[in-house]
Amino acid sequence: MKKKNKVAAATNWPLTILLILGCLTVIFPLYMAVVIAFKKPSEMTNDIAGALSLPKSWSFENFAEAMRVTDFWHSLGYSVMITVITVVLAILIHSIAGYAIGRSMAKSKFYKFSYLYIVSGMFVPFAILMMPLVKQTAQMGVDNWFGVILCYLVFYMPMNVMLYSGYLKNIPIALEEAAFVDGATTWTTYWKVIFPIMKPMHATVAVLTALGTWNDVMTPLVIMSGTGTNTLPLAQLTFQTQFGTNYNLAFASYLLALIPILLFYIVCQKQVINGVVNGAVK
Amino acid sequence: MKKKVIAVLLMATVLTGMVATTGCGNSADKDGKTHITLVQYKPEAVKAFEKMEEEFNATHDDIVLQIESPNDAMTVLKTRFIKEDTPDIIGIGGDVNFSSFIDSDMLMDISDFEGISEIKPAYLEIAKNLEYVPEDGVFSMPYVANAAGVLYNKDMFEEHGWEIPTTWSEFTALCDEIQSEGIQPLYFGFKDTWTCLAPWNALAVDLAPADVCQQVNKGETTFSDEYAEISEKMLELLPYGPEDPFAYNYNDACTAFANGESAMYTIGNYAVPQITSVNPDMNIDSFVMPGSDNADENVLNSGIDLQFCVTSDCENKEAAYEVLSYLLADETVQIYLDDQSAVPCKEGNFELPKVLDGMADYIKEGKMADYQDHYYPAEMSVDAQIQTFLINGDVDAFLKKFDTDWTRYNRDIIRKVQEYEEKNGGNE
Amino acid sequence: MKKKLSRNQTFMLITVPVLLLFFCFNTLPLIKGFMYSFTNFKGFGSYEMVGLRNYADLFTDARVGKSYLFTFKFAILATIVTNVIALLLALGLNAKIKAKSALRGVYFVPRILGGLVVGYIFGYIFTYILPAITGGSSMLSSTKTAWIAIVIVAAWQSIAQTTLIYISGLQTVPEDVYEAGAIDGATGWKSFKELTFPLIIPFFSINMVLSMKDFLMVFDQIMALTKGGPAQSTESISYLIYNNGMGGGQFGFQSANAVLFFVVIVAISVFQLNFTGKKEEQL
Repeated sequence: MKKKNKVAAATNWPLTILLILGCLTVIFPLYMAVVIAFKKPSEMTNDIAGALSLPKSWSFENFAEAMRVTDFWHSLGYSVMITVITVVLAILIHSIAGYAIGRSMAKSKFYKFSYLYIVSGMFVPFAILMMPLVKQTAQMGVDNWFGVILCYLVFYMPMNVMLYSGYLKNIPIALEEAAFVDGATTWTTYWKVIFPIMKPMHATVAVLTALGTWNDVMTPLVIMSGTGTNTLPLAQLTFQTQFGTNYNLAFASYLLALIPILLFYIVCQKQVINGVVNGAVK
Repeated sequence: MKKKVIAVLLMATVLTGMVATTGCGNSADKDGKTHITLVQYKPEAVKAFEKMEEEFNATHDDIVLQIESPNDAMTVLKTRFIKEDTPDIIGIGGDVNFSSFIDSDMLMDISDFEGISEIKPAYLEIAKNLEYVPEDGVFSMPYVANAAGVLYNKDMFEEHGWEIPTTWSEFTALCDEIQSEGIQPLYFGFKDTWTCLAPWNALAVDLAPADVCQQVNKGETTFSDEYAEISEKMLELLPYGPEDPFAYNYNDACTAFANGESAMYTIGNYAVPQITSVNPDMNIDSFVMPGSDNADENVLNSGIDLQFCVTSDCENKEAAYEVLSYLLADETVQIYLDDQSAVPCKEGNFELPKVLDGMADYIKEGKMADYQDHYYPAEMSVDAQIQTFLINGDVDAFLKKFDTDWTRYNRDIIRKVQEYEEKNGGNE
Repeated sequence: MKKKLSRNQTFMLITVPVLLLFFCFNTLPLIKGFMYSFTNFKGFGSYEMVGLRNYADLFTDARVGKSYLFTFKFAILATIVTNVIALLLALGLNAKIKAKSALRGVYFVPRILGGLVVGYIFGYIFTYILPAITGGSSMLSSTKTAWIAIVIVAAWQSIAQTTLIYISGLQTVPEDVYEAGAIDGATGWKSFKELTFPLIIPFFSINMVLSMKDFLMVFDQIMALTKGGPAQSTESISYLIYNNGMGGGQFGFQSANAVLFFVVIVAISVFQLNFTGKKEEQL
C-alpha cells in the first residue's frame, strides 16, 4: 500500500479507485441482504440467478410487517435509551479512569495493577458471569434496563480504558503542566485541556460502545427477562423459531436497525477527522 | 470543591438510578385476585395464546392469567428460576429439559388433576418415560405433539404412480425407482446437525426398543448392540440425497424440497410451515419411516411438542388447575390447532393437519414412540456425532464413542438409576 | 475545605469508585461462577459439590482439547489477517482520497450486520456461489476448509472495528512528522516503517489484544455458519462453554472450562502487553 505524504497533496486517484473496488466485498453481501428484504418467502430459491435477481416488486410490505411484529418504535426506544445512556456514561467515566490510570501507571504499582486488573476483566467469558449476574441484579433490584446499562459500563470498561490510556501516550504531559503553572487543579485541567483533546478517541469509543450495546442480545435477554420489555435485538429473535426462520422479514428488520447506528457512526467519524488537534499535539 | 461535586454527581447518577429502579420492582397488584403466570416456549404460537389469555380473563373474575411467550424461552426460564421469579405454569416440550426439571424437583405432581384422564395414554406414557428414575406422580399435561417420518411431494408421486412403502426394502426400491427416473429421491440439510436426528429418530423407533436409554442406564444393554442396524441404514440413505448433504442447512433443504428438487424429505410435520412459506400451493403428505422389513414393527415417531407443567413454587394450585382445565377444553385446543399445525394429545375427534393423512392411522391407534433424542443430554451433542459418523462412515467407531460418551455425560444419572435399582430391585 | 487536592488524591478519588464498580459487576460474579465450577450444577435446581472432578475431567475430555486447538489456530490466523488488512485499509482511508466519508461508512457496515444476516448471506455464498465459480464443493462442508471460511467471515466483520481504531491512532500522528520525513527522503514503506508505525504502536498493541480476545472468544460467527460442524471440527471454546453450559446441563463443568480459559487468555495477553510494551519503550 503506497501512501504519498506530500503536504496538501492532490487526490490519490489510484488509491481511491482501489478502495472503491474493495468496497465490493461489502456491497455484494449488502446487495443480497437488501434484495432478500424486499422479496416474498415464495421468491426464495437455491438457484443463484434467482437469489441474486431483483424482487418482483419493490414493496415496503416486509418492512411494515417487521416493524409491526417487533413493536418497532417501542423496542427502538428502549434500544436508543440504553445505548445513549451507556455511551454518555462510558465517555465520562471511562475517559477519566483511563486518564487517572494511564497517567500514573508508569510510576505507581497500584495503578499498573489497576490497569491490568481492569483489562484482564475483558477476558472473562460472559457465560460464566451470566448466571451470577442475573441473580445479583435481581437481588439489587436492577434486573431491568438500568442493570443492563451498569453491566455494559463494566463490560466495555477494559477496552475503553485501554483505548484512552493508549491515546494519552501520544499526548505530551507538557500540555497539562502549562495549565498547572496557571494554578489549575488536576480536575479542571482534565476537563479543560485533556478531555477536549481526546475528542477523536471519544468518537471512537462512542462508536465501539454503541455498536456493542446496540447489537447485544444476551445481556438484555437474561437481565431483563420477565420484565416484558424488549430491545430491538430481543424483539428480532421473533423471526427465528425452533423450526423456521422468516428471513425476508428478519432482513427487513435488520436493515431498519442498521440505519440509526450507521448514521451515528458517520457523525462520529466526522468528529474523528475534524476533531484532530494536530497542532496541539506537538 | 468543584471536582468533588462532579465526582459525587457521577456516582449519584449511578446510585439514584439503582434506587429509582429498585422502587418499582415486583409490587404485585393488590386487587384480591389470584395471579397465575404462564410462560410457554413457542413464540410462533403467540397469537393463539393471546386469544386464550383474553378469553380466560373475560370468563374468570377471581383469577388473572398472564401468558408470556418470550423468544429464547429456555434461557428466559432458566434465568427466572435463578431469580426465584418462577412462573406458576410452564409450557415446554417433552425433552431432556423436562427430565432435568423433574429430577430437580421443580415440578408439581398433578396426578389429582382430573383432566389427565382425557389425555391419550400413549402420550402420558411418553411423558412418563422421560423421567430419569421412575417417580410417583404425573408431572405434565401433554398438550400437542408432532410427528416425524418422511414428507413427500404428493403431486409428484401421483404423476409417476409411486406407491407408499411399508417396509425398508420397499422404501429403498422406491428410492431406486425415483432415482432411475432422473429425480432425486431425498433431500438432507445435514449442515444443521439437528436435522441428522430426524431420520435417525424415525429409524430408531422402528429398530430399537423405546426405552433403550433407560436400559443402558441400568446396564442391561449397550448402544453398540441396539443402534448398529440404525447406523447402517442411515448410511444407506445417503446416496439418495444430494451429492454433498453436509453443505446444506435445514432452510436450504426446506427450500429445495418446496421447489420440487426432491421427491421426499425425511423430517417432521414441524417443517411444513417453512416449506409452504416458499411454495404455498405445495401438496405435501407424509408416511411413517419404514425402518423394518416387518411392516408391523414400524411405528410412528411422535413426541410431545408442548405440555404444561405446574411448578412446585406455585402457591395457588387450584387456580393453576383452573387454568389447565381451561386450556384442555375442546374449544381452547381448537384455538391452538387453528393457529398451529399440530397433533392434539387429548382424546377426541379433532381434525388432524392434512399433511399427516398418511400417519393418521398410527396416531389413532396410538402406535407410536418418542424421539430417542429426547433422552440424550444436550451437551453430548449426539446430533453432531451422527453428522461426524455420516461424514466418515465408520459405524464401529461411532457406536463405541456413543457408549463411552454416554456413560461419561450421564454418570450422575446412571448412579441415581443404579441406586434406585438397588433399592427397588425386588419390585422388578 | 479550600485545600486543593493533590494530583494523586484526585486520581485516587477517580480510580477507587471505578474499581469498586468493576469489582461489583465483574469480579464478584466471576468468583460466584468460580464456585459453581466445583459443583455439578445444571444451571437450575439442586446440585452437589463434586470437588475437583470438573477440572480433572477438563484435562481428559478430548472434545475440550480439540476446541482449544481449533480456537487458537483460528484466533492466530484471524488476528494476523485482520490486523494486516485493517492497517492497510486505515492508511488508505486516512490518505488523500475522494469520498472519504462514504468509503469509511461502507467499510464499517460489516460490523453492524447481525449474525442472522451474516450467517445467511455467507452461508449462501459458500454453499452455492463459490462452488459454482470454482467448481469445487462448499468450503463449509469439509473439515479441512470450514475453519478458513469462518476466519474469512470473522475477519470481514472485525476489520471494521480494527480499522476504526487504527484510524483514530493515525490522528495522533502530526502532519509535520511527515514533512520532516519527506525532507529526509522518507516516503512510502520507509516513511511508514520509520515514522508512522512507531507512533501508532500503542494502537497496534491495543488492536492485537482486542482482536486476539474477540477471536479467542469467537461464538457468533460459528453459530451463524457451522454450529460447530462439520464433524465437530469448528467447536470453539466459547461455543462449548455457552452451548453445553447454558443450553445443556453442564453448567458446573463449563464454569470450570471458563475459569481455565480465562487464566489462559490472561496469561497470553499479559505476555502480549509486556512484549509490545517493551517494544514501545525501545522506540
